Amino acid sequence: MTDIHSKTKPELLAPAGNLEKLKFAIHYGADAVYIGGKQFGLRSKAGNFSYEDMEEGVAFARKYGAKVYVAANIIAHNENLDGAKEYFKALYEIGIDAVIVADPALITACKEAAPNLEIHISTQASIANWRTVEFWKNEGIPRVVLAREVSLEEIKEMKEKVDIELEAFIHGAMCISYSGRCVLSNHMTARDANRGGCAQSCRWKYDLFEDGTEGSENISAESDESYTMSSQDLSMVEHMPDLLALGVDSLKIEGRMKSIHYVATVVNVYRKIIDTYFEDPDHFELNPEWVDEIWKAAQRSLTTAFYYNEPTEKDQLFGKPARIPKYDFSGLVLEYDETTQIATIQQRNSFGVGDEVEFFGPNFYHFKQTIEEIWDENGESIDRAKHAMMITKVKVDQPLKYYDMMRKRK
Amino acid sequence: MERPYQPELIATARDMKEVEKLIDVGVDAITIGHQNYGLRVTGDFSLEEIKTATVYCHQNETKVYILTNAIFHNDVLETLPTYLKELESVKVDGIICGDPSIFTIIASYSIDIPIIWNPETLATNYVTLNYWHQKGISRAILSNELAIDAIKEINDNVSFPVDIQVHGMTCIFQSKRKLVTNYYRHIDKSYDQQQAMHITQGKEEDTHYPIFEDVNGTHIMSDGDLCMIDHLPLILDANIHGLRINGILKSMDYHVEITQLYKEAIDAYLSDPTQFELKKAGFKQRIYAIQPEDRKLSTGFYFKEQIY
Repeated sequence: MTDIHSKTKPELLAPAGNLEKLKFAIHYGADAVYIGGKQFGLRSKAGNFSYEDMEEGVAFARKYGAKVYVAANIIAHNENLDGAKEYFKALYEIGIDAVIVADPALITACKEAAPNLEIHISTQASIANWRTVEFWKNEGIPRVVLAREVSLEEIKEMKEKVDIELEAFIHGAMCISYSGRCVLSNHMTARDANRGGCAQSCRWKYDLFEDGTEGSENISAESDESYTMSSQDLSMVEHMPDLLALGVDSLKIEGRMKSIHYVATVVNVYRKIIDTYFEDPDHFELNPEWVDEIWKAAQRSLTTAFYYNEPTEKDQLFGKPARIPKYDFSGLVLEYDETTQIATIQQRNSFGVGDEVEFFGPNFYHFKQTIEEIWDENGESIDRAKHAMMITKVKVDQPLKYYDMMRKRK
Repeated sequence: MERPYQPELIATARDMKEVEKLIDVGVDAITIGHQNYGLRVTGDFSLEEIKTATVYCHQNETKVYILTNAIFHNDVLETLPTYLKELESVKVDGIICGDPSIFTIIASYSIDIPIIWNPETLATNYVTLNYWHQKGISRAILSNELAIDAIKEINDNVSFPVDIQVHGMTCIFQSKRKLVTNYYRHIDKSYDQQQAMHITQGKEEDTHYPIFEDVNGTHIMSDGDLCMIDHLPLILDANIHGLRINGILKSMDYHVEITQLYKEAIDAYLSDPTQFELKKAGFKQRIYAIQPEDRKLSTGFYFKEQIY
C-alpha cells in the first residue's frame, strides 16, 4: 500500500440537474459535476441542459477550477443513435471535460467525432472485477465508474492491479438490481429503464407467493408489510477514511433529480470530511455534526450497501418509511449588510417571524437563530414571507454571504 | 453458391437425461453450465458432466454452448481461467458471455473458444454488437426487449450470427442481494431456496412473476412465457440464425415437447410455407394442452412499443 500522506485528494463529484444546481454544487465544494444533456441521458425527467446552459455551466465551473461531465449513459436502440456524433462534437466544442457512457455504440461515436473528449464508463455497465477494469483501460478509457455491488476489498484489488482512475459512489439512491440488468419497468409499464424511462418498479409493493401443488400461498398476506425490493440509500459519511485510504480517484454523489438544498448540504459535508482528513490523516476523527447534517437532507434510511458486507434485510426498506426529520430550503441569501446586520433573502419556502431557522454556507459554516423581523421589498415589516421567490430583508445574528442558505424544519 | 438458410434450434438442458431427450427430438444445440460462472442454468453441470455431455452431443452432431454469462467479481477470476482451459480442451462449441473481462482473460491465457455475446439487456443495437465483434465475439444473443423490426435491422447490419429467444420465460431483474431471504428474515419466517415462488404486482392479481435465489443473487422472471410459434415465418424470413428455447422453471416433459414442436414447425415452414400455415393452429393447440394454467403465453416485446 502506498502511504496515505503521499496520496492526492480525490475528486468530489456532485450531481447537477440544472444550471442553478450546478452553481450550488460547485460553490459548496464539488470538484466536478455531472449533468445531462437533452439527449442520450438516463434522467429524462431531470431539468437537463441545453447547449447554452452547458456553456454557462462550463464557464462558471472554470472560474472555480471545477470540471463538468455529461452523462450519456443510455443503452441505445438502433434508432437512438442518430445525431450521436454531432452531439459529442458539440459537447467537446463547449468544453465539457468528459462524457459518462455505458453503451459501446456511443463510445464509438464519441471516439470518431471528438477523439479528444474523455470517456468514462458508467455504472450502468456493471463493472465488478479487475479484468473488466483492465479491458476498459486497454480500450484507452481513462476512468471507470464501478458497479454498486463491489466491496472495498474488491476495489483495493482493482486499484492494485490496474492503473486507471476509479470512480465510486459514496452517497445517494441506488438500484437494487445490477444497474442496466433490470427491465422491470419495461415489462410492467412499457417504459424502458435503460433509456431513461425507469418507473422505479423495484420500490413498488408486491405480494409474494409460495407455489405448491394445491395452489399458491400468499406469504406477504401474513405480514403487515408487503414484499418489495426497495433499497435504502447509500451513505459513506461515517466511513470515509476507509475509502480515502484506497485511493479511489473520484467520489460520486447520486442525485440529478435532487433539490438544491440536498446537493448543497451533502456536498458541504463530504467536502469538509475530505479536507479535514487530508489535513492530518493520522488524527482524523469523525465529527458527529457532519452526520447530523447529512440526515437533514436524507430522504430514506442510510446504508453502506456492499462496501463492507453483503446487504441484508436491514439495508432494505420495508413497511412505513423511517421518520426522518425533513427540512425545507426556506431562503437563499443574496446579500448581507455588515453595518446593519441585515441579510437580503430570496424566499424559497414560506417562513415567518418566530420561526427557528438555520443558516449554513460553504466550508461547513452554520448558525441557528429565531427570526425576529422581516421586511418586504418596500421596507414594510411583514409577519411571513409567503410569496414564492419574494425578496425579503431579515435581521441576522451572524455574517452571511451570497449563496448561503436558510433552512427550516418542517 | 450460398448455403441455404438453416436456423439453429437451441435449448437449455438441466441434466444428461434432458440432453439425450432434446437430441432425440432434433435440437441443433444445447446450452448448459455451472452456476458459479453461468446465470440461471436450468441444472448445475460440474466440469466432468459438461465434458460427458459435450462428447455425447458431438457424437450426435449437436453443438454445446456453455453459459458463462455471470457478472464476475474478483473472486471468480481465480478459478475462471482454468475452467475455460478445460472447456477449450473438450472443444465446446462456444461460451456464452456478457462480461468484458472475458476478452482480457482469454488473451492473457491464450484460450481459443468462440464467444457468444450475451449481456442480456445490453445487446440492443448493431453498432454495439459490431464493437464487440471487433473485440472477438463470433455471435450474439439479442436482448429480449426488442421489437421484430429492430431485430431484423440488427441482423441486416452485422456479419455474424445473432440469436433470439422464441419460447419460455425471460429474466427481467437480477440483484446480487438475497431479496427473498431478506424478506423472510424481516417477517421472521424461514425460507427454503428450493421452494418455487412468484410475486404479483400490487392489485394486478393475475400477474405471475417467478422469483428465485441462487449463488448469483435474486432473479425475477417475466410474467408470461414467450411463445413465437405463430410468428415463426417472420423470424425465419428474416434469416435469424439462432432460435432459443429456455426451459427454466419448466418440467422436462414440457420443455422437450416444446422443443420438438418448434423443430417440427421450423422444418414445416422451411420445406413448405403453406404446410406451416395449415399446421399452425395445431402447433398452438399442442402448446395450450401442456401450458401451465398460471403461465400466460406472450409475444414479449416483438410487437410492443416502448416509451422512455
